[in-house]
Amino acid sequence: MPEQPENRIDRIVNDLLHGRRLRLRAGDADEKEAITAAARFAAAGQGPQRMSPAFRRRLAELIESTPNEAWLTRRAALVAGFGVAAGAVAGGLLGKQLGSLGGASMLSASSPVVPVNGQWTDVGALADFADGQATHVTAGAVGAFVYRRGDSVSAVSSICSHLPCELWWEKGSGLLECPCHPVSFTPDGKPSSPSYTLSALNEVKTRITSAGRVEVLGT
Amino acid sequence: MTAEPRRPSDPAEPSEPAGEVVDLPNAARATDIALDELELVYAFIYARVGNRADAEDLTQQVALKAIPRLRQGAPASAIRGYLFATARSVLGAFWSMRLGLSQAELHEDLALAIPQGPPSNEPAERAQRILAELSDNYRRVLELRFLHGYSLKEVASEMRSTVGAVKVMQLRALRAAAKVDPDA
Repeated sequence: MPEQPENRIDRIVNDLLHGRRLRLRAGDADEKEAITAAARFAAAGQGPQRMSPAFRRRLAELIESTPNEAWLTRRAALVAGFGVAAGAVAGGLLGKQLGSLGGASMLSASSPVVPVNGQWTDVGALADFADGQATHVTAGAVGAFVYRRGDSVSAVSSICSHLPCELWWEKGSGLLECPCHPVSFTPDGKPSSPSYTLSALNEVKTRITSAGRVEVLGT
Repeated sequence: MTAEPRRPSDPAEPSEPAGEVVDLPNAARATDIALDELELVYAFIYARVGNRADAEDLTQQVALKAIPRLRQGAPASAIRGYLFATARSVLGAFWSMRLGLSQAELHEDLALAIPQGPPSNEPAERAQRILAELSDNYRRVLELRFLHGYSLKEVASEMRSTVGAVKVMQLRALRAAAKVDPDA
């Protein structure tokens, strides 16, 4: 039974009033005006906002590390938890600059995501993953699609290797589709669209514990 | 495990700000200046997304996209212009991805003037201008809920109504508020 619009909006309002991020679901776009108004009222109710000292320090570290690196690699950004921005850097900005920079420091786009001080995150029982299907999971700052083949699983990053968009799983075609342009990837991350030449998706490390739980290497 | 991401109904490709490269004025103070400017960006973004987690993510995206393009030697106004152009692009992509809002629908909202001073109470003043245009009931429910932090139950008690009725009124009030132009 579809959620009533007033319940849908109240869920979002409650999240905002409790300082939680906007968690939107299918159908919420029908109330986009009410949602953006709620976000603005929530902000207004909290008075002028300044960055927290911890966030300011994080940004300072980010800024100070930039001159030496020239550009953040997509993989480094994924590891740092900047998935969407990383895609923008890799797909939008870096792509324009590779000629002048030579791309020497750029890691392979299909290299595995191995976070510094990464940790294994339980994302569910193997039995919860449908065989032959990909399921979106998050392991801290790492978003991934876990694909089950019988008793084994593999995973790839959920961010398109070109534009900074979160992929979605199309059950019918068995492909990961990008909502931002007409490209798709196989469950093991290889591009399947003939219209674009793309890098493969970054591999995300997975393992299955002796208790039959699926774990993903995240942050 | 999380839900499969929703496919946006209008997957507009976010536009990049102009590819201009501007320079920071002084190497020693570059980080402080950039942080002060990002403070304005954070307030700008927060006023539109209403929560810290999303505001931090988006501000970080702005920094990632803009800072590498800033080198030594340019006035703060140029830095600010570039950062806000990037902030608009990042916010546009955020709403576009989350709600399927097109860039055209966002255009008016994001074309607001660049803040010239420290984070101000402008969002609250803007909210008051909107509230002033609403009917008494709509204004009251939004004031109690957002400005005073009342729960639905408390609002219902205050307004001598039911939780269900307040929930519907809240939705209608937000829809009505979205139609008000506070700058008219």
